Amino acid sequence: MEIQKEPLSEPALIRDDEVFLRMNFAERLQHILLVVSFTTLVLTGLPLLFYELKIFKSIFASARAFQFRGFLHRAAAVVLIIDSLWHVGYVAFTRRGRQNLKDLLPRWKDARDALQQFGHNLGLTRFLHRRGIGKKFFARRPFWLFEKEPEYGRYNFIEKFEYLSVVWGSFIMILSGFFMWKLELSLRLFPLWVHDIFVIIHGYEAMLAFLAIIIWHMYNVHLNPEVFPMSRVWLNGKITGHELRTLHPLEYRKIIEERRKAAEPDAPTWS
Amino acid sequence: MIRGTVVLLAALLLASLPSPAATADEDCLMCHADKDLKSAAGKTLFVDEGRYRLSTHGQAGLSCVDCHADLAKVEDFPHAEKLEPVDCSLCHDADAAAVAASVHGGPHEAVNASIVVSCKDCHGTHDIRKKEDMDSTVYAINIPDTCERCHLDLVKTKRGGDFVRGFNESVHFQVAKKSGLSISATCVTCHGAHDVRPTDDPESRVARTAIIRTCGRCHAGIERSYLEGVHGKSYLKGLENVPVCTDCHSEHAIQTPGTASSSVYATHVAAVCSRCHDDENLARQYGFLPSRLRTYADSFHGTASGFGETRVANCASCHGFHDIRNSADPRSSIHPANLSATCGRCHAGAGPNFAKGKIHVVSEKTEAKGTYIAKIFYMTAIGGLITVFLVFIAVDLARRARVRWKSKKSR
Repeated sequence: MEIQKEPLSEPALIRDDEVFLRMNFAERLQHILLVVSFTTLVLTGLPLLFYELKIFKSIFASARAFQFRGFLHRAAAVVLIIDSLWHVGYVAFTRRGRQNLKDLLPRWKDARDALQQFGHNLGLTRFLHRRGIGKKFFARRPFWLFEKEPEYGRYNFIEKFEYLSVVWGSFIMILSGFFMWKLELSLRLFPLWVHDIFVIIHGYEAMLAFLAIIIWHMYNVHLNPEVFPMSRVWLNGKITGHELRTLHPLEYRKIIEERRKAAEPDAPTWS
Repeated sequence: MIRGTVVLLAALLLASLPSPAATADEDCLMCHADKDLKSAAGKTLFVDEGRYRLSTHGQAGLSCVDCHADLAKVEDFPHAEKLEPVDCSLCHDADAAAVAASVHGGPHEAVNASIVVSCKDCHGTHDIRKKEDMDSTVYAINIPDTCERCHLDLVKTKRGGDFVRGFNESVHFQVAKKSGLSISATCVTCHGAHDVRPTDDPESRVARTAIIRTCGRCHAGIERSYLEGVHGKSYLKGLENVPVCTDCHSEHAIQTPGTASSSVYATHVAAVCSRCHDDENLARQYGFLPSRLRTYADSFHGTASGFGETRVANCASCHGFHDIRNSADPRSSIHPANLSATCGRCHAGAGPNFAKGKIHVVSEKTEAKGTYIAKIFYMTAIGGLITVFLVFIAVDLARRARVRWKSKKSR
């Protein structure tokens, strides 16, 4: 992203090399547990979806190997369940957790941001405008020119989407997986055709999650030229003032505002 | 028993007949007791009198010339080197007639015309013993060795030597050879002894039309059970493609279901059944449901079984095996009323909910609407989201490339 220079008159309340904590230790550990359990679950679950692939047949070449696969899958599921419960507790009972959740909730701005980012990247409307097409429309609605990139807060629409997907996906997978694990219980409660839906959902939701992680998450935190080869936030939790200013300008300004208020309580609010 | 008595009487009659001109055994043994006596071709001409006396013919008191009849009147010794072949049919006429009508009765043009089987190839010569005698070449436990002398390599059947060799891996052979179980099935138990016929001969004991009875001679309970099931009923109607014992259990290499290499081992059952039940043509012809293997493989049972897991259900776990019945039959293990019990064998406490759904779904659209809708929903979601992701990423990368190119140019 292009660096957006702050006005020169602005006192340097945040230096570019100042370090901020974006993910605290608990959040990082939650994420690591999620990575470990998710990866294990995918690796031990895929063979059931793609049972015809030779590679899986050779990895799980014996009944014992196959049974161990099942054990690993359920063990990883237990880790995911514990991690999820911990996260729910963390969000419910810590101030930071509650604030994170609040910041992660989707708003209309996120849809607008997504559209703006995409439109800006595409540059089609600017191209049309330069060619003199739709002048009247763009004069009335300059937003559609997507001249600027959207300004993001603590979490951009991509991060919000990923977070909510994980929440939704984990809920679906844990619920359907639990009934597949406890099949006798499931069939005491539901007819077979409902249980069959659990099985289908478990497989397809897994595919969706797997593809979303492989394509969307891997691009945004690894392959994206901005962070390539990898954003290190998930390991050290740190983000610099520079990154804050360029990637999360709204949060950056919010912090500056807070610091300014703290420094001169009577100063007029920044707008 | 009657035949034995007749043989004995005939032998006694022959022995008691006064024949002063006949050559006595002593005359023969003057030369043939010599261990070093050899023909011009180097073949031993030694006759072990002790062993002969213990043989069934020796016990009956038969003398040399009773069999070597062309020497009875010879007075000049040594006699001519070439003798007439011994004609066993003089006494054993019924058995000889059976052999003559069998596959061993003449040159087997299909395999090797130069080979003609005679009595001695199976029974031996001077030391022939009764089939009840453990030292006999035709004693039950020794039969495989006797038959395999030719049938492993010398005379191959249409399906090759390994087809016969497979018998040595079978449970029938193993219990006979290793445990010495004399009533186990050996070659003659199924193929007959003197009246062995080719499999495609309708009079053969191992012809498709006869095999049920042949196996049933020992496995009587299974035969009855089979005949009560759909396969057995169709078999009685004479349906050509109906599976008989050997179709599932194999012919020679029959093994117990618990043996990992058995064709009816837990993880192999599906492959055996699907030879017919995944065949669209047979399904159309006989009006049964196709795609049984595909729909099984899609289920957890089938998937796990494919990985070698033996504890999951295979075809036989739910459908039974010898007396498989149509689901409409109230005695069928998959009749809706019996599903709780059938599923409950593995899934403790299986209730009526196990029957409220469909196993082996061929068309989800019509048979399992719930899973169909879920699948459509997810396929749309996956297709849509992945498209959005990829388009967004492509456009993002394109813009980055553009910015970079521009900044390079401006520099």
